[in-house]
Amino acid sequence: MLKTTGLHKSYRMGRSLVSVLRGVSFTVDRGEFVVIRGASGSGKSTLLHLLGMLDIPDRGRIEFDGGDLLAAREAERRAYRNVQIGFVFQFYHLLPECNVLENVLMPQMVRHSFLGWRRVRSTVRGEAESIIERVGLAERITHRCNELSGGERQRVAIARALINRPAILLADEPTGNLDAKIGGGILGLLAGLNQGGQTLIMVTHDSAVADHAHRRVHLVDGVLRKSEETDELATPSRIGRREVPL
Amino acid sequence: MYKWFLAARYLRTKLIAWLGVASVMLCSAMVLVVLSVMGGFLDTVRERARGLHSEIILEGGTLQGFPFYDEFGELLKVELPDMVERTTPAIYSYGIFREPRTTWTKPTRVVGVRLDEYVKVNSFRAGLHYERYFPGTTSLGLQGLSVVGTDPATGRFKLPESLARANARWRAAEKDQEAVAAFDADPFLPAPVDRLVSMEVGERVFAADMGEPRFSGPDLPGVIVGCDLLNERRPDGNFNRYLARGAPVALTLMPLTPMGNPFGEPPIKMVLRYVDDSRTGIFEIDSLQTYVDFDILQDRLAMSPQPAVDGGMTSARTNQLLVGLKKGVDINIARDQISEAWERFTMSKVPTVSRVDATNLRLAKAYTWEDLQRSFIAAVEKEKVLVTFLFGLISMVAIVLVGCIFYMIVEKKTRDIGILKSIGASSQGVAGLFILYATVVGLVGSVLGVLLGSEVVWHINEIQDLLASMSPQLRVWSPEIYSFDKIPNAVKTVDAIGVGVVAIVASMIGSLIPARIAARVWPVAALRYE
Ligand SMILES: Nc1ncnc2c1ncn2[C@@H]1O[C@H](COP(=O)(O)OP(=O)(O)O)[C@@H](O)[C@H]1O
Ligand SMILES: [Mg+2]
Repeated sequence: MLKTTGLHKSYRMGRSLVSVLRGVSFTVDRGEFVVIRGASGSGKSTLLHLLGMLDIPDRGRIEFDGGDLLAAREAERRAYRNVQIGFVFQFYHLLPECNVLENVLMPQMVRHSFLGWRRVRSTVRGEAESIIERVGLAERITHRCNELSGGERQRVAIARALINRPAILLADEPTGNLDAKIGGGILGLLAGLNQGGQTLIMVTHDSAVADHAHRRVHLVDGVLRKSEETDELATPSRIGRREVPL
Repeated sequence: MYKWFLAARYLRTKLIAWLGVASVMLCSAMVLVVLSVMGGFLDTVRERARGLHSEIILEGGTLQGFPFYDEFGELLKVELPDMVERTTPAIYSYGIFREPRTTWTKPTRVVGVRLDEYVKVNSFRAGLHYERYFPGTTSLGLQGLSVVGTDPATGRFKLPESLARANARWRAAEKDQEAVAAFDADPFLPAPVDRLVSMEVGERVFAADMGEPRFSGPDLPGVIVGCDLLNERRPDGNFNRYLARGAPVALTLMPLTPMGNPFGEPPIKMVLRYVDDSRTGIFEIDSLQTYVDFDILQDRLAMSPQPAVDGGMTSARTNQLLVGLKKGVDINIARDQISEAWERFTMSKVPTVSRVDATNLRLAKAYTWEDLQRSFIAAVEKEKVLVTFLFGLISMVAIVLVGCIFYMIVEKKTRDIGILKSIGASSQGVAGLFILYATVVGLVGSVLGVLLGSEVVWHINEIQDLLASMSPQLRVWSPEIYSFDKIPNAVKTVDAIGVGVVAIVASMIGSLIPARIAARVWPVAALRYE
């Protein structure tokens, strides 16, 4: 469904050019759960941003359902970001002026015009409420985001990512800012979504979740490697984490 | 949809936006106050200028005047029945005004009018002083001195019968009860019959003695004197009068031949009774003009038919023919049609009249009241434009301030903009959000500003009085100078709407640069870090 070929991305750091991605090619199929791992600074976020069309690669191709996203017009890319992709960030990125429900509804508000919104409002509201219930925040629906804990905020962010029923859910270290117990709940929630058929691409260091993934890839030196060799290494670390919560 | 939602939300949650609202409010209130006061000033000036003559004036262009005015007036009513309501001639001449008892003299422009017709083509009657309290008693014909007598039974002053009846009529009709009360508190000052000057100064002065109320002395023609010519203006805008109504005053006149030459004899002197004073509200006129009966003045100025040198008689002349139009007639169209009629009339007359008459006919031309008062009105118009422009310039501050405030908001909201873009919002959409936000700020600010400005304009005279009570220096509007009793205090709907719309547009303009900055936010750059 999503296919990239030879993605290159480099950043200018003063005078030198730092090459972060150097030919990333991989394919994700519908319903798949792919975990991307890699050292800090290896370019995982960069890759995810490219997949979500939040940034443009220097070179390469990104195809969604056979269509070339980089050749598409800006309006089509916006529609792609809005409808096909749900993005979950490490730092939640909620709108502080809005409450839980409003944050979750925001992609729908972006999608619809003023008049269109009036038509769909009640239906969409119902959907938003059931999604918020699914992520376990039914009681918090009218709370402002600054009244929520980190874990709760990330659940709001996940609910927001799901409201437009995206083809692909992209999660960039969704638990990177949370302690292990809370993070475990979030990862469980995401894994559960995948079991319900949601295509999921996730950057995480948590090996336990990685075990649930259909596929694990490793970003090393700007290219993706299959990470069988690291799986054995991952198991003890998983146990270690569970025993010593941070 | 998110634009509307977030614009409303930001307005509710961001205190800083109210700073923008306040600045837009103050600026639009300020401009509205200036526009309304200056506009009101201009309207009053126009109204005054318009009430001065008549809608259309056929002006002789010379001091000796032009003939056949009555004939042409009748012709106009026949040729342009849908346009012309009535016509009346007026003589303009110059002379010396002298108050005999004080030997006090002034130059004057003597206007000869048929009073009953004259007051129908303009608002002259509204500016008469005694005529207001004693309606129907001001006339320019021959009349005696009105003397207030004393009732032997009560020992109180008693007006002559005709004046008392006129005064009763005024009381019955007057809506301003305060004016009636003021009259009763101080009806008039008495002046001794032999001097006709009161000891004190006041609103009204009548000759008075212990005898019967009566009209006495020789019958003399009446004269209406410009209020600033004879009286002294008080700081409150009213006048101090000291000369009794009906006191004789003298005018020295210089008659001219139809050719515009002086007669061989010395200038002639006329004695008239001061029957009233006139206030048009235009100082240049009120300090210069005196009004005398048309026929009497025409005769004295030798503008009536005179034996000509070559035998026969010259034709009666006037300086102006005032034309009152029917309601709703466009004055410019009327002027053009009357001009044409005058041209035809002149052409038909020229072959049959003397050379002098023909010349004088050719010199006369039709004008609208606006044509005649153009320079006077234009000065005030320019003033209004200038003041509005200056305050509008100051209001640019509001645009800059809105710009700064929005710049700050955009800076703070960079991450939110990134979030919106990451969920599919477009650059134009995000820019639109901030322009919409600014428009709402402008809308709220301008509505409040228009309300505040209107409130200030409606109470501007109270505000002025309050300031003046704190310090006389703060009295900016002096009735003594402007001959208006109060500062114009009406707000026009067009002005209010105009100011409001401009304020909203200005706020939008102020938000354009911040909106562009918002549009350029690159989602990843805004979202990578917390
Ligand atoms: N805007 C940028 N300008 C310069 N360098 C950047 C920028 N964004 C990321 N980088 C660099 O690119 C590399 C990859 O970053 P990132 O994708 O965030 O890695 P990861 O998510 O795997 O930790 C890092 O070395 C980072 O410093
Ligand atoms: Mg990262």
